[in-house]
Amino acid sequence: MQDLERKLLELKDNSELMMDLAYSSLLYNNQDIAEEVVFLEGMMDELGDEIQEMVIDQSSQGGEVMKSLVVLRLQMAMEEIADAAASIADVVLRGVPQHPVVQMSLRDADVVISRAAVAEGSDLAGRTLGDVKLSSISGMFAIAIKRGRKYIFGPSHATRVETGDIIIARGPEDGEEYFAKLASGEERAPSD
Amino acid sequence: MMEGEAPEFLDLSVREILTEMKDISEVIVDLAYAALMFDSEDIAQKVSELESEMDNLNYAIKIKTLMAARTREDAIQLSGMLQVAAAAESISNAAGDLVKLQSVDIERRPFLSFMLRESEEKIRMITVSEKSDMINRTIGDLGVEAETGMRVIAIKRRQRWIYDPEPETKLKARDTLIVRGTKDGYERLAEFSSGRSPWPEYEEE
Repeated sequence: MQDLERKLLELKDNSELMMDLAYSSLLYNNQDIAEEVVFLEGMMDELGDEIQEMVIDQSSQGGEVMKSLVVLRLQMAMEEIADAAASIADVVLRGVPQHPVVQMSLRDADVVISRAAVAEGSDLAGRTLGDVKLSSISGMFAIAIKRGRKYIFGPSHATRVETGDIIIARGPEDGEEYFAKLASGEERAPSD
Repeated sequence: MMEGEAPEFLDLSVREILTEMKDISEVIVDLAYAALMFDSEDIAQKVSELESEMDNLNYAIKIKTLMAARTREDAIQLSGMLQVAAAAESISNAAGDLVKLQSVDIERRPFLSFMLRESEEKIRMITVSEKSDMINRTIGDLGVEAETGMRVIAIKRRQRWIYDPEPETKLKARDTLIVRGTKDGYERLAEFSSGRSPWPEYEEE
């Protein structure tokens, strides 16, 4: 079951990242982010196929049918989420201007998306996301980092932030300001 | 569908409907996983309710946007918006499918808890101790998520549940919170909710 579990976990994390990225591509009308969502959707399909094969294989070798069914249904639900995210990205990729209400609605939402450039001397610069504990000190969870012309999508604990990076994060509205100040260097990260 | 009855949510603006749909699309997935993880029929029930609310919202936004289209440009922009709304609705359907897995014995879905335990952002339960200074303060006033990165997706108070609590919701002693966030954030929140550390206060600027 080990390998299967790992694949399912990847599906889950991916489907959540895709949702976050899809909404941010819409907010910023950003084609690069939208393209990543579509790319991830392709990966989800491949992973889904692998999972289905594994499960059917196990079942045919006398594995428990009910367990297999649960895995398949999980995979399908996560696939459905991924498809929905891709469908949002598709709106952006069409390249027509968004209705202004879309952006307004996204800004009114409980979970907001925010971006900030990391200035020289900021406590974020030169440290990993895990070291700064960005999420637990600001509430803002990094979903992408733009470095020069490239993106790091779904950065991990080990991702090092550099001066000049633009961090795209999601979180509560009252976390935005501190996040912005942390990036600009106006606020320091707590030392512990 | 709802013949003779006036569709719900038509008194809301398109902007309000879409915001509501986005909010639900996010919290419903967390709630669905939480329902499976804690084997809670109550949470599953809430997921079903939100799912049908989402259907009605999607219906309302369709009607409203169709009424708003005057020109071809309008129609192009509004169709994009409808596509987003439909996607949000699909997400809630997926959440509905997830909670259906609850009918399967918990022993037969062991990998589920593994998956939810190992995720980058985990869903966990945490209890607010009577020693904690978080009690009798609201989630918004504390700024729980901004301070710890942990989003409160539900609260269990005695036999009652509060789902997707508002910023105005006051915390009470012995409330069990279902929270979502990173491990660091959980540990930080546990410091405060246990009463080991006081909730941090900042000077007004």
